[in-house]
Amino acid sequence: MKISKQARRDAKQLFRACGAAGQLDEMRVRQAVQQVIARKPRGYLAILAHFQRLLRLAMDRRTARLESAVPLDPTQQAAVKDSLQKHYGPGLDFSFAENPELVGGLRVQVGSDVYDGSVRARLTELVEQF
Amino acid sequence: MSTLLQDIEAQIAGVKSAVIRQNVGVVREIGDGVAKIEGLTDVMMNEMIDFGHGTMGLALNLEETEVGAIIIGEYAHIKEGQEVHTTGRLLQVPVGKGLLGRVVSVLGEPLDGKGPISGDAFYPVEKIAPGIIKRKSVSQPVQTGIMAIDAMIPIGRGQRELIIGDRSTGKTTICIDTIINQARLNRAAEAAKDKDFRPLYSIYVAIGQKQSNIARVINVLEKEGAMPYTIIVVAAASDSATNQYLAPFAGAAIGEWFMDHGMDALIIFDDLSKHAQAYRQVSLILKRPSGREAYPGDVFYLHSRLLERSARVGENYGNGSLTALPIIETQMGDVSAYIPTNVISITDGQIFLETDLFYQGIRPAISVGISVSRVGSAAQIKAMKQVAGRIKLELAQFRELAAFAQFGSDLDAKTQAQIERGKRIVEVFKQPQYNPIPIEVQAAVLWTVQNGYFDDVAIDKIRDFQAKLTDYLTNRKADVLARIAKEKALSDPLAADLKAVVTEFKQTYQ
Repeated sequence: MKISKQARRDAKQLFRACGAAGQLDEMRVRQAVQQVIARKPRGYLAILAHFQRLLRLAMDRRTARLESAVPLDPTQQAAVKDSLQKHYGPGLDFSFAENPELVGGLRVQVGSDVYDGSVRARLTELVEQF
Repeated sequence: MSTLLQDIEAQIAGVKSAVIRQNVGVVREIGDGVAKIEGLTDVMMNEMIDFGHGTMGLALNLEETEVGAIIIGEYAHIKEGQEVHTTGRLLQVPVGKGLLGRVVSVLGEPLDGKGPISGDAFYPVEKIAPGIIKRKSVSQPVQTGIMAIDAMIPIGRGQRELIIGDRSTGKTTICIDTIINQARLNRAAEAAKDKDFRPLYSIYVAIGQKQSNIARVINVLEKEGAMPYTIIVVAAASDSATNQYLAPFAGAAIGEWFMDHGMDALIIFDDLSKHAQAYRQVSLILKRPSGREAYPGDVFYLHSRLLERSARVGENYGNGSLTALPIIETQMGDVSAYIPTNVISITDGQIFLETDLFYQGIRPAISVGISVSRVGSAAQIKAMKQVAGRIKLELAQFRELAAFAQFGSDLDAKTQAQIERGKRIVEVFKQPQYNPIPIEVQAAVLWTVQNGYFDDVAIDKIRDFQAKLTDYLTNRKADVLARIAKEKALSDPLAADLKAVVTEFKQTYQ
């Protein structure tokens, strides 16, 4: 779908209005989307598409994805959460996943920052060095 | 043996502690050598982005939600949704004397099948030009070996002289001649073990040219023995627009190494019209706003930042120089198009080649009226200044009078003499390609013209007379030429000797 400049601008305005004190307000987001669908302003589909994209990017930035080869026990999870919150501030969403391909270790992604302490990453680095 | 085990243990311990931190993004769009990437929040302008499989990209557009990157080399394997990461490095090329005699790509990879390149260092492709404190005014000549240029439009080391003209008017030929002449001078000085001589290394950057043309240039340079002093950077017509856009910057980086290390280098950009077109293509695909002739707004800055990098630096900063000879191809002799006017205003003068002159047989087809060198005369040797000072004026007067004389037949003796002299100067400046003339021979021949020894030779005999005079001087009176080369000026006793030699020659000439 072609998203016009005006739609982009409107979506951005809407997105800004949904934030309070730098944090995204989930209630407002839901309300905003409902309102837009109900009122159907000009180019509302494009506005919503771009709004969704902005929302996805914003949520990506505040989501910490943790992958490990074996499931982490609750104390380990708490320790990782704690140290990440120290670094990135409060308000992070966490998602834990298992990925046997890592062989061992942990891979953490917050937004576009990746901390890769997995065995696979080290092996790849070793291969690249040769 | 025990130390080996300990070493390995220490290394293993080191590996264990390493956590790799990366800034990653996801390819959202890919096509025409340009990728749009989401993420990459820490990316910097002009930073290299790793696309995997050894493919690199350059971040050119940093937008609110995405990053526009150009991909260097092959991009067919890059897929939408692929993860890429920043490298924290700028694009760089190997530089140093190891590149001499080689043909390299934009990234400094060998293209000539002569094995790996051994560079002395790596230089970033984009670099800020030397500032005003580091610079020194141009004072040493670049001898092109082309008489018309060395006499009337002299080029100095550190100068930027534009070569502009329509297609097939001999723009590249002038540059090849210059490279060949540098090689000859360098080799002669090496053979004579001249310590004061500063060799001039050449870099030829081919941008968007046919592979066959590039191969021909390389063949000529090899045949003339100029390759040992030359580096060729190739971004051919079949290479991506990205490579064509980066090629002159890579060439400039290679040249800067020579400048920084107290040496002199000459760089030829063949040609910047195609470079501007490649940049226009990249910019349009990146969706940058377009301006006049659809070029992006920063096309002037593109060429000015490139050409500013050629400079003459002072003694405290290495005392090197980088001379640039950019080439611009015009359409139907239109110098007022966008890119030609830009580059004319950036450079320190231009050599304008005309199709009409070329087909009249005046080759090199230099149009004297609008060709200038703004700083080169400071670098001309004194002997040349003495004999060539008035030539440009005489030639310009001749052009005017010749046009005037077409209407009337009655001309006073003075005008007639001026026209006859002009015709002879035009003949003397005709020069076959790949045949540079040493500066002392140029000075001697021009002295002969200036002192009227050519005046009683028939026009159609001038070339023959000149050739035989040159032959006579080089083979039988080499000592006079050697004195001109050594003294670099025509003192009164030297002029007297030259007069005796020319008079002697005229008596034997039929």
